[in-house]
Amino acid sequence: MILRCTLWIVVLFTTLAVDSHAAPPSKLALQGGRIIPVCGPEIPKGTVLIEDGTITAIGETVKIPYDATVIDVSEKVLFPGMISPHASQGLDRPNENLPVTPYLDVYDAIDPSSLFFEDALRDGVLAVHVIQGNNCVLGGLSRLVRPIGRTPDEMTIRPSLALKLSASPKSGSDRMQQMAAFRETFLELAFYLENLAEKRYEEELAKEKKEIDVGPEEARKRGAPLIRKEDLDDRHRNLVQLTEGQLDAWIYCDAATDVGPAINLAKEHGFLDRSIFVLGTEAYRAVQELKKADRPVVLPPDLVHRERDPITGELSETFIPEVIHEAGLLFALQPNPDSSLAERYLNYQAARCVRHGIPRQKALESITLNPARMLGMEDRLGSLEVGKAGYVVVLSGDPLDFNTWVEKAYVDGILAYDRTKDVRLKELLDLEEKSAEKEKQKEQENVESATQEEKQKESPAETKTDEKTGKEGEQDSEEGQKNEEEERDDK
Amino acid sequence: MIGIRGRQIHSFHHGNRQAFWLITSLLGLLLTMPPLARADVPEKLAFRVGKVVTMDDEDRVLNNAIVLVCGGKIEKIGTIKDLPIPDGYTLIDRPDHWLVPGLVEAHDHAVGSSSDLHDYVYLTNPGLRTTSALVPESENLKRARAGGVTTALMLPGSGNNLSGFGTLTKLAGDTVDKMLIRAPGCVKIAQAGNPERYWYGVSRCFMYYNLRQTLQKALAYHQKWERYEAGETAEKPEFDLFWDDFRAVFRRDIIALVHTQWYQVVMSSVDMLAKKLHMRIVLGHATFEAYKTAPLVIEQQDIYTCNGPRQIHFDQHQRKIMGNAARWWQGGVRKLGINTDAPVVPQEELPFQAAMACHYGWHPYPALRGITRIAAETLMLEDRVGSIVVGRDADLGLWTGDPIDPRSACELTVINGQIVYDAAKKREF
Repeated sequence: MILRCTLWIVVLFTTLAVDSHAAPPSKLALQGGRIIPVCGPEIPKGTVLIEDGTITAIGETVKIPYDATVIDVSEKVLFPGMISPHASQGLDRPNENLPVTPYLDVYDAIDPSSLFFEDALRDGVLAVHVIQGNNCVLGGLSRLVRPIGRTPDEMTIRPSLALKLSASPKSGSDRMQQMAAFRETFLELAFYLENLAEKRYEEELAKEKKEIDVGPEEARKRGAPLIRKEDLDDRHRNLVQLTEGQLDAWIYCDAATDVGPAINLAKEHGFLDRSIFVLGTEAYRAVQELKKADRPVVLPPDLVHRERDPITGELSETFIPEVIHEAGLLFALQPNPDSSLAERYLNYQAARCVRHGIPRQKALESITLNPARMLGMEDRLGSLEVGKAGYVVVLSGDPLDFNTWVEKAYVDGILAYDRTKDVRLKELLDLEEKSAEKEKQKEQENVESATQEEKQKESPAETKTDEKTGKEGEQDSEEGQKNEEEERDDK
Repeated sequence: MIGIRGRQIHSFHHGNRQAFWLITSLLGLLLTMPPLARADVPEKLAFRVGKVVTMDDEDRVLNNAIVLVCGGKIEKIGTIKDLPIPDGYTLIDRPDHWLVPGLVEAHDHAVGSSSDLHDYVYLTNPGLRTTSALVPESENLKRARAGGVTTALMLPGSGNNLSGFGTLTKLAGDTVDKMLIRAPGCVKIAQAGNPERYWYGVSRCFMYYNLRQTLQKALAYHQKWERYEAGETAEKPEFDLFWDDFRAVFRRDIIALVHTQWYQVVMSSVDMLAKKLHMRIVLGHATFEAYKTAPLVIEQQDIYTCNGPRQIHFDQHQRKIMGNAARWWQGGVRKLGINTDAPVVPQEELPFQAAMACHYGWHPYPALRGITRIAAETLMLEDRVGSIVVGRDADLGLWTGDPIDPRSACELTVINGQIVYDAAKKREF
C-alpha cells in the first residue's frame, strides 16, 4: 500500500511536472557512487548530475549547482536503467486472436495498474517495449513505455515504434497459410493503393473540371504521388508506413526454418534495413542467414537450447548468446517476467552470458545500449552519458552480482522506486534486518561470554561451583523424565 | 453488467411487436380523450411529516414540515407553523415519517423482457433503442415503485461494446408516451467484461479500436451536419438513421452511460470518451479496483460515477476488503451515486445497495443523495427530479424512517403528483 501510494504520488508528481509549474526537484546530483556508464570506462567514485530529467554532467569531479538536491550514493553502483526489448506483458491481455491487425495499437490494452510495471521498477527495468502478436500474422503497433504514469499517454517514451510480424505459424495454422496471409496482405495493399491513386488523380482533375484523359496504368502512376496521409484508412496506413520507412518491423521467428522466409519478406517489401528479428530458442541455428542479413536480434528468455540426438539419445546443450556473439550480431537479452526462476532478472541473464565467456562489456550492453539502439533510442537511453535521459538505477553492488538489489530507480530524473519503501519486499527486508540483528546479538553474546570466561579465569572457584550445580540440575531432570516414562509404561 | 446470451440473430421487427405498438398507441389515444382522462388529473396532496429531506442546493432538511403538491409539481414547502394547508388538499398526516425525493436509478435493464436487450449481435449496434422494448406497468416497474423508485434510465444490455440507446422514464404511466422523459436518454457503451466473450474472445485492444472507429464515424457525421447548419457549406448531408442519434451525444444533450470496471477500463473510458471525444460520460458499475482512477476522473470535472451493484472489492495484492463507494469518496469523487443494475439486483433494493455502500464505509447522507439528487444530475434531469424543490416534479417517497436504514419501509410513492403505490392498500414486501 505504501509503495502503491508512493508510486501514485510519484506518478502524480510526474504528470504535474509535465503540465504545471509544480515540478519535481529539477536538479539532482547522485554523489559518490561507483559509476558504470556502459558507454565508457567505469568511474570508481563519481557523480551524475541530472537537470530537468537529462544527464548534464558525469565524472569524478562534477560541479554541483547550489540548488541541486544531493543524494549520497557512496558504496552504491550507478547503472543505466535496463531495457526490456520485447514484452507482451503489462497489457490486459495481448491480442493473439485476430490474425492480421496492422490497425491495432498496444496503447488500447496497456494497463498502468498492472503489477508487471511495478515489478519492472523493482528489477531495475526502466523502459519496456510493449509489443504483442507472436501468435498473429501482423500483430499491430508497439510502444516504448516507462513503468510510471497513470495512463498509457503518461507512460509513453515513444509511441508507434514498430509493427509486429510473425513468420512462425499462428497456432492452428501452418507455414504455408502464414506466408499466404502475408502475400494476401501485401497484395491487397498494392491493389488498394492503385485504386486510391486512380481515385486521387480523378479527384484532382475534377477540381479543374476535367475528365480523365489517360489510361488506368498512367492514371495510377500520376495519382500515386497525390496520395495524402489522410486518404489512407487505418488498416493500410500502418502498412504504408512500414513499407515506406516510418515504421520498423519486429519479426518473430520461432524456429530456424522461419528465418529465411522472414528475411525474404522483409527484403521484398523494402523493410529489411529496419527489421529486428525476435528469435525462439531453436532459431539460432539460422545464424549464418542472420549474419548475412546483419540485423539485430532479440534472444529468447530461455538462453539454452537443448536437444537429444534421435539415434544415440545423447543430450546436447547450446548456449544461444555464445553463438550469436561469435557471429558478431548485435543482440539484446529478454527477461522472462512470468518465471519464478532467475530468468526474470535481466541482470541475471547478462551474468549468465559472462559465465559462458562473453565479455562483460558485451553482456552489459545487451541489457542497456543494444536494446536502446534497436528501439532507435540510443540518443536518450541505454547508458549514462551527458545528453541522455536520467534513467538511472542505484544498485547495492555490481549489476552482475547475484546479491545485488535495486536500491533506487530514477526515471527521467524522478525518483520512481525506493527499496526502503517497498512494502512487498518488507518481509524479506525484515528478515535481513532480523538476521543482522541476531548476528549482532550473537556477537555481543560471544563478547560477553568471552569477557565472562576471562573473569572466570580470574576467579576459578566460582566457576567450579557453577558447573557443579548446573550438571547436577541436568541430571535431576533427566532422572525425573525417566521416572515419568516408566510410570506411563506401567499404566 | 447484464449480458444474456439470447438469440444470435435478432430480427428488428416482430409481428407481435407491431401489434403491440398498434394497441398501445390506440390505448394512448383513448386515454388522452377527455372523458377517460379523469385518472390523469393530478391530485392535490398535502404531506404533514416529521422530516423532509429536500436534497436541494442547500441540503436543507425540514423537521415537522409540510409539502404541498398540485398539478403534478411541488407547490409549496414549509414548516407546520408557517404553512397552513389550504382547502381542497388531501392531507397525508404522518408526523413520524420521512418524506424524501423519489429515488432515481441510473442503471436499469428491466426494460421489458430480457431477450429484448439485444445482446451479442455485432460489437457495436447503433440504431437500436430500448424505447422499442419498454413494457409499461410491468411487474418490475410495480416492484420498483414499492421501493420508492420513481425514475429510471432503461438501458440496453452490456453484451457488446455499443448496444444502442437507452430511455429515461418515469416508472408510472400505462403507455410508453406517458412514461417517457427523454428518448433517447443515453447511448450505452460497454468497454470490457461481457463483450470480451464475443466471438471466441476479443481483447480490449481490438474492442477499443472498434469502438473508437464507430464513434469517430458518428462524430464525422455530426460534424458534417454542424458545418451545414452553421452555413459553412451549402451541401446538405444525407440523413442517416444509423448515426443520427449520436448528434445528441456529441452536443452533450444526452449522456453516454459506460459499463466500465477495473483500472485499465475506467482509465480508457475517461481518456477515450470524456477527454478525447468530449462526451458526457457516466461510469456505470465502476467496481473492482476502478476507484484508483479517482484522480483521472476528477480531472475531467463533469464525469459522474454510478457505483454498483457490487459494493465490495477484495484486493488480492493488498489482501484487503475495500468498500467501492467509500474508496471513490476517499479519492475525492463527489459526483457519486449508486445503482442496482436491475434486474441483477431487484430495482426496489436501490436504497439497500446504498445501505451496503455505507456498511462498507460510505456515509448515509451522501448515499441518500447518491440515489436521489446525484442520480438525477447523472441523468441530466436535476431540474425535474431527485429533489423536493418548488416547481419540480412531485416524485416523492414517504418512508417510516431513513431510506438508507434497511429497517425503514416505503409507505407511499408519488409520481407526477399521483399516488402510485400505497402500502396501506397492498404492501408489496
